[in-house]
Amino acid sequence: MADLEDKPYDPEREAWTRRRFLKAAGLVAAGAAAVPILEACGGGGGGGGGALTTGKAPVPRQGASIRLLQWVHFVPAADTEFIRQCTEFGTKYGVTVAVERITADQLIAKTAADVESNSGPDIIQMQYGWPHLYDAACVDVSNEVGILKSKLGAVASVNDAFCKVNGVYKAIPYTIVPNAFTYRTDLLSQAGVTSWPKTWTEFAAAAAKMKAANLQPFAQTDGHAYGDSLTMWNPVLWSHGATEVKADGKTVTINSKETRAAIAWAQNAVKGGFVVHPEWLDPDNNQAYHANRISATLNGASIYIREKVEFHHYDSVSDNGVVPAGPKGLYTMNLIFNHAVMKWSPEKETAKALIMYLMDKTNYLKYTDIAGGYNAGPFAAFDNDPVWTKDPKMKAFHDVVATGKWPGWPATPSKQTAQSQQQYIVADMFAKAIANGDTESAVKEAESRLQAIFSRPG
Amino acid sequence: MSTATRRVSGAGVSRPLHLRLIEREAPMGYILLLPTLLVLGTFLAWPFLFGLWLSVTSAELSDPGHFIGFGNYNFEFKIDHPFWTSFWNTFLYTGVTTVFKFTLGLSMALLLNQIFPLQRFVRAALLLPWIIPTVLSTLAWKWMFDPTFSVVNWVAVHLHLVAAPGPNWFGGTSTAMAALMIVNTWRGMPFYGIAFLAGLQTIPLDLYEAARVDGANRWQQFLHITLPLLRPVLLVVLLLSTILTFADFQVPFVLTNGAPYNSTHVLATWAYQWGVPGGAIGLGASVSLVLFPVLSIIIAGVLVLLRRPE
Repeated sequence: MADLEDKPYDPEREAWTRRRFLKAAGLVAAGAAAVPILEACGGGGGGGGGALTTGKAPVPRQGASIRLLQWVHFVPAADTEFIRQCTEFGTKYGVTVAVERITADQLIAKTAADVESNSGPDIIQMQYGWPHLYDAACVDVSNEVGILKSKLGAVASVNDAFCKVNGVYKAIPYTIVPNAFTYRTDLLSQAGVTSWPKTWTEFAAAAAKMKAANLQPFAQTDGHAYGDSLTMWNPVLWSHGATEVKADGKTVTINSKETRAAIAWAQNAVKGGFVVHPEWLDPDNNQAYHANRISATLNGASIYIREKVEFHHYDSVSDNGVVPAGPKGLYTMNLIFNHAVMKWSPEKETAKALIMYLMDKTNYLKYTDIAGGYNAGPFAAFDNDPVWTKDPKMKAFHDVVATGKWPGWPATPSKQTAQSQQQYIVADMFAKAIANGDTESAVKEAESRLQAIFSRPG
Repeated sequence: MSTATRRVSGAGVSRPLHLRLIEREAPMGYILLLPTLLVLGTFLAWPFLFGLWLSVTSAELSDPGHFIGFGNYNFEFKIDHPFWTSFWNTFLYTGVTTVFKFTLGLSMALLLNQIFPLQRFVRAALLLPWIIPTVLSTLAWKWMFDPTFSVVNWVAVHLHLVAAPGPNWFGGTSTAMAALMIVNTWRGMPFYGIAFLAGLQTIPLDLYEAARVDGANRWQQFLHITLPLLRPVLLVVLLLSTILTFADFQVPFVLTNGAPYNSTHVLATWAYQWGVPGGAIGLGASVSLVLFPVLSIIIAGVLVLLRRPE
């Protein structure tokens, strides 16, 4: 096992041994037997499985040509390394690989158009719960995930929930973009805040101190930002004990005293000095931080990394802190990306082989090293990625991974949870209640919108 | 000779079908229409009919779904709360911007119709907002309204028009809507201006000279000569602009995409929200088709006005 993990990906070598195959087959058989029992008990993944697991690693076809579509990375060097690895794969196996990149907020429109026209790139990077939205267009990659699991250990729970649709893997876990607070140590010290707040109550108190000292505020979006808004307001909701929907994925639970408590915290924090921006999109807090307009904000590690690597204005006085905990615990949310092989691809095996090559431990660690901690690996083997110890200030970004949940939690990701997320219902509820102070109407509107989604005809 | 030949062929020898069709006026007319009908059918009728079909199905991306009757419309009108916000926003957005574009466009045309130095250059320059791709110009506006680095606010603050830091354009519901209207007016005004200018230049100058001789002042000339003679152009431009503004997607999508908290969604962006990120294309189609009867009534009204004699 150990030697397999350390050697680069080689499809010829990756076929399972008979013992490993029997072991995995046994587990699959046991799992298959357990599904009806779980379903009878009200659990399980909902059936519809039939995952294909042959144990054979995909073999690239020499002369094949494939296209991969993904976002433009916030750390440009990471994209350079990603493309380099794709080119390396192409050279090694005689495959032409084209990497197409568009901004993350445009990725969904392009993906939707490809899915509807049944044509496009062979591999598409799926954000959050897209494999559930487009499951019919994604091929079964359970076999490949099985191989990766055997090499790299368990899949991170959020990637697993997003990739697995009705018991079948429709995407290969690719990465986690951890979200933590980046803050200015010099400004916080001036206001008398000596350590990063551990609870939301402490956070609100620290924000108030910043305001009292007439210093740059703690600031965050509560608008329609696909990353920073969701990663802020869902954890606030969860850490106060509230959820959008029950674990059954049907019963809307947003109208609760816990939700009101979460909103009350937000309203008080804003009254105290925490600044929310409904107009901010994902890049806006980055710009504000680099322009010395704010003292703390929740984001991926890109603010800190770009300060350290590129701008050098506030790198020495910047640090990162974990998302604070609420009365019901510590919850975080991170951006999740996975790779799906599309059903229209004429080169499915080559496409799968490319992803396997990119997920090879050696290759992946090179990638995370260059990304500087912006990305975290989605398998257990990456928990101890040296990138987290290289710079002690990056620890917060490592620590937020384990506590991560997904929009719609505790319900299993579904089309409905994905639609609720895409409509920013939770963020809108907070934004409206903060803007006009009318908690009741904000909660009721969120409830009616969620009920609309979960009761839609179909 | 020719008469004889015709008699012979008419009596027994049949002429090829294509020759007979070409020689007759009506079939020839249909044949000539065929390419146009084909293009219209492929690019207009088929998408429209397909959209109609989608709107009565449970279709989702990569899933054709099944017939559900008026289920999607029922859902929109009775359950989907932001639909009504988008519906009213669409009317407000179209109504306000049309008034401004009409007034400013007409003023622009009247000014451009005068003789002044660099007249042709100014006419061409004023067309720029209409020529630049909408997404590009809207992105430029987005930067100008940027919450952190707004050049609009910088200018307004330095001219002491507003207190620093100036309005948070996309942070409030009314300011965000105002920003949308400003950009749409800026972009659409040249279309009105140039179309009206073309109309103004067809009005014979003799009429104005005669009016002046009769003692009519400028306002009376405008009211009794310019406006009546410009009426067909005004109505056509109004019709086209209303349709385009009702269906506007680019400006609201790029500038606010519904934020803050869905207060600036119009029907086009709400349809997109359901159809593309939400994956429910049947529902998205039903949202976009809600405008169809509204626009049909507007078009019918304008066409009646156009046909009515002065």
